[in-house]
Amino acid sequence: MPRKDPVTGKLKWYKSEGAVAVYSALISILIGMAVGAVIVIIVGLSKSNISSSGIVEGIKLVFLGVFSTGRDSAGQLVFGFNGVNMGNMLFRAVPLIMTGLSVAIAFKTGLFNIGAAGQYLMGTMGTLSVGLWLGWTGCPKAIAWLCAFLVGVLLGALWGAIPGIFKAFLNINEVITCIMTNWIAANLVTWWFDAHEMFKNSAEGGKVGYIIPLKNVGVVTPKLLMDKLFAGSQANGGFWIAVLIAIAMWIMMTKTTFGYELRACGANRHAAKYAGINDKKNIILSMAIAGALAAAGASLYFLSGNTEFYWSTYQKLPAEGFNGIPVALLAANHPIGVIFSGIFMSMLNISGIQLKYLTAYNEYIADIIIAVIVYLSAFSMLIKMMLSKRIKHDHGNVNAEPAVSAAPADDAEAPAEIVKKETKKGGQK
Amino acid sequence: MSEYVIEMNHIRKEFPGIVANDDITLQLRKGEIHALLGENGAGKSTLMSVLFGLYQPEAGEIKKDGKVVKINNPNDATALGIGMVHQHFKLIDVFTVLDNIILGAETTGALGFLKKKEAREKVLALSEKYGLKVDVDAKVEDITVGMQQRVEILKMLYRDNEILIFDEPTAVLTPQEIDELMEIMKGFAKEGKSILFITHKLNEIMAVSDRVTVLRKGKYVGTVNTKETNKQELSNMMVGRPVQLELKKKPAKPGETILKVEGLTVPSKIHKNNAVNNVSFDVRAGEILCIAGIDGNGQTELIFGLTGLEKATAGKVTLCGKDISKASIKQRALAGMSHIPEDRHKHGLVLSYTLEQNLVLQKYKEPRFQNHGFIKFDEVREYAEQLIEDFDVRSGQGPITVTRSMSGGNQQKAIIAREIDRDEPLLIAVQPTRGLDVGAIEHIHNQIVAERDKGHAVLLVSLELEEVMGLSDRILVIYEGEIVGEVDPKKTTPEELGLYMSGAKRQGKEGN
Ligand SMILES: Nc1ncnc2c1ncn2[C@@H]1O[C@H](COP(=O)(O)OP(=O)(O)OP(=O)(O)O)[C@@H](O)[C@H]1O
Ligand SMILES: [Mg+2]
Repeated sequence: MPRKDPVTGKLKWYKSEGAVAVYSALISILIGMAVGAVIVIIVGLSKSNISSSGIVEGIKLVFLGVFSTGRDSAGQLVFGFNGVNMGNMLFRAVPLIMTGLSVAIAFKTGLFNIGAAGQYLMGTMGTLSVGLWLGWTGCPKAIAWLCAFLVGVLLGALWGAIPGIFKAFLNINEVITCIMTNWIAANLVTWWFDAHEMFKNSAEGGKVGYIIPLKNVGVVTPKLLMDKLFAGSQANGGFWIAVLIAIAMWIMMTKTTFGYELRACGANRHAAKYAGINDKKNIILSMAIAGALAAAGASLYFLSGNTEFYWSTYQKLPAEGFNGIPVALLAANHPIGVIFSGIFMSMLNISGIQLKYLTAYNEYIADIIIAVIVYLSAFSMLIKMMLSKRIKHDHGNVNAEPAVSAAPADDAEAPAEIVKKETKKGGQK
Repeated sequence: MSEYVIEMNHIRKEFPGIVANDDITLQLRKGEIHALLGENGAGKSTLMSVLFGLYQPEAGEIKKDGKVVKINNPNDATALGIGMVHQHFKLIDVFTVLDNIILGAETTGALGFLKKKEAREKVLALSEKYGLKVDVDAKVEDITVGMQQRVEILKMLYRDNEILIFDEPTAVLTPQEIDELMEIMKGFAKEGKSILFITHKLNEIMAVSDRVTVLRKGKYVGTVNTKETNKQELSNMMVGRPVQLELKKKPAKPGETILKVEGLTVPSKIHKNNAVNNVSFDVRAGEILCIAGIDGNGQTELIFGLTGLEKATAGKVTLCGKDISKASIKQRALAGMSHIPEDRHKHGLVLSYTLEQNLVLQKYKEPRFQNHGFIKFDEVREYAEQLIEDFDVRSGQGPITVTRSMSGGNQQKAIIAREIDRDEPLLIAVQPTRGLDVGAIEHIHNQIVAERDKGHAVLLVSLELEEVMGLSDRILVIYEGEIVGEVDPKKTTPEELGLYMSGAKRQGKEGN
């Protein structure tokens, strides 16, 4: 018979694990923005063309960039609802949400997917090629859209499955294979577009090296009200699709037997195997899903129509692929949380652009803030630990796991932990 | 000077949903071996963790040599000379034995470089002095559990600890290793070190301890002198009711063969030879067949080979008339096999899952618990509550308790509940009562006998002679991967069994 103490029953919701995760994310964000503000001050002081009022403006924009509506006739910054900024923020959030989901789902299965960049590129290649090609053949636009999206997603899934297969059957660390598949993808994509002149945008002068945007063939995501809400922005229905996918992922992970299996494999592969769960299959599936999600991010981004792809990618991997990691970390790998952390990261981008247009600062300040947050998001685990210790202490419970745990691979939540574990264990014995 | 080196007065420690320690008093004399006895979940490990600085009590005080001290973390404890060997070891697998011992207590030279040579000499000297044989350069992942424990003990000695806490040190040891450990502990006490010793085995308490403190459900029951008590009295004290130490069971009525093993061969991961070599036996419905032997003679690999966790290289396994030699783990389970695994943390549980999630570890796909792939949470909850009730699994928050926070014995009970409830024709139980209190052992033994009486076949692997003799209907002795004898528990003696287990006696070869 379980003994229950009515007084010290469950934790209050604001002291629950989820709440603690939110607090720690918020703390990382605040510290990141504060560091950003400090940098704005330092840069401002060291530059003669920025006055002290310019510094104040810079700080304001760092925090409230999305709400900036330009300058009034007196030259003062004005803030308010800015549909264009808001819409663009949501638009740019889409690939971040999707790669964030990609990383988060893999984390839950105990895998560190740093191959999102390659998967993203494969998605780009599939979607653009199929979208353009079907657009030219004159097939119905809706069908062309669907095919372009699905082929992109499928290529991404395939690309994600490769490290999964290596991990499952040969026990090769997925981090290494992901890095390799990233660069293979980068070269493959370059080669593909290099070999196919028809996709290159030569019509518009000065656009050397770009692929024809999908709007030219009319294969674009419908706006689904986004144009009404945020007139003049790039926002489209892709955002709703991303939100739906995130919710679907959350349901899949928490409510289904499949998610139960995936998480069991991630938490303790040996126990999963013992229970008759096919651990190899689940590792491959998890990576394939991660790949599909990252690729879907690319597909939705380029299906907006007016985004342009610079095809010579072999020297540079898309940042979206790596930004998925902090997005997932900030959200503590929670699929719904990823929606918000993705929007937040995108908001910083917008702030950067505002800084560039409205002040003497350049947009790289935003990159610095993002970098600081990326850094801190790794710490957010630490902050989370400290917070839960404090909260539970108030509650009369220091839930300290005794010093050095030598338990077999069980929990795998943070990537840092996973990497540590990999190097520690050298994979499965 | 106070009479006691350590006094823990009126200690209270709460966890969500449970008071793990409620007004507990424990007094430890210098140079004594003080046993701590209590049911699973009584709060023994918690109390020791409080003393070692891992938990802060909500109330109460700790005195060292009569002076009140505050122990905020394990470093404070070490500074006070308190060391602890945990129930589940705290070693780093890929570090060497030496590195594990000095970790956290490293001596460094001028530039912060480790002075490994001195450390090594000190460790070697200690190991020599106390007869704690270890291979200092081996990696922890490659050494036996017994040696890992000696490493843990050396860790305490290396830090010059005078108060040594042993949390269920014998649960994972072989009988021989247990005897050695008892001797080592007596040696420590003679030297003036004070020992706190947690165990569920009353024989050990009677053999080495000077006094015993008994806890029940987080409360202090009393402290007695070992000389003035006996096993029956101790078990009654801890359970709060008379416990039947002897198992009563009707003679077995073996029926048809459930499991047939022919020439099973499983390779070893450690050495070149086979861990299990050409083993054949049958288990019949309505009998408990026990594989007895000294740890490391192929029992683990035999079970892995049968359950599919490891690939057998030769041999045929037939379960309920079906050839499962090549079947997957899942197919074997479906063919009628349930399995209480040896390593509860590695195979038995997903520690970060809740109790209810662990209780449906193989069942979540059954129509009762899912609908088109969606888990029916209500059904899972209801089922878990039933099992928790039936098997008396104790935890802070019932079905939603994270398994990691449960006491070791209750984790084990959860696994047993899950496996017995699967109600399969064959139950494979490896060390099923490891880490359980006498009351729980009584309960589990009765459950296993009930399984037998239901007409199920039970394959038991146990290292404990008492359990082997008491529970089984037929005993096979395994030695170096081969079955060396079959004996009837009613007609044999522990001595004869010992001869088989050590390889000194062998059936079928006697005549030559
Ligand atoms: N970190 C924790 N968080 C929540 N509850 C805990 C924690 N540690 C222990 N408990 C609960 O406190 C109670 C006492 O646990 P403890 O581990 O001290 O038992 P024990 O006497 O050592 O039992 P066993 O013989 O099974 O090892 C148990 O009900 C357990 O579920
Ligand atoms: Mg314990």
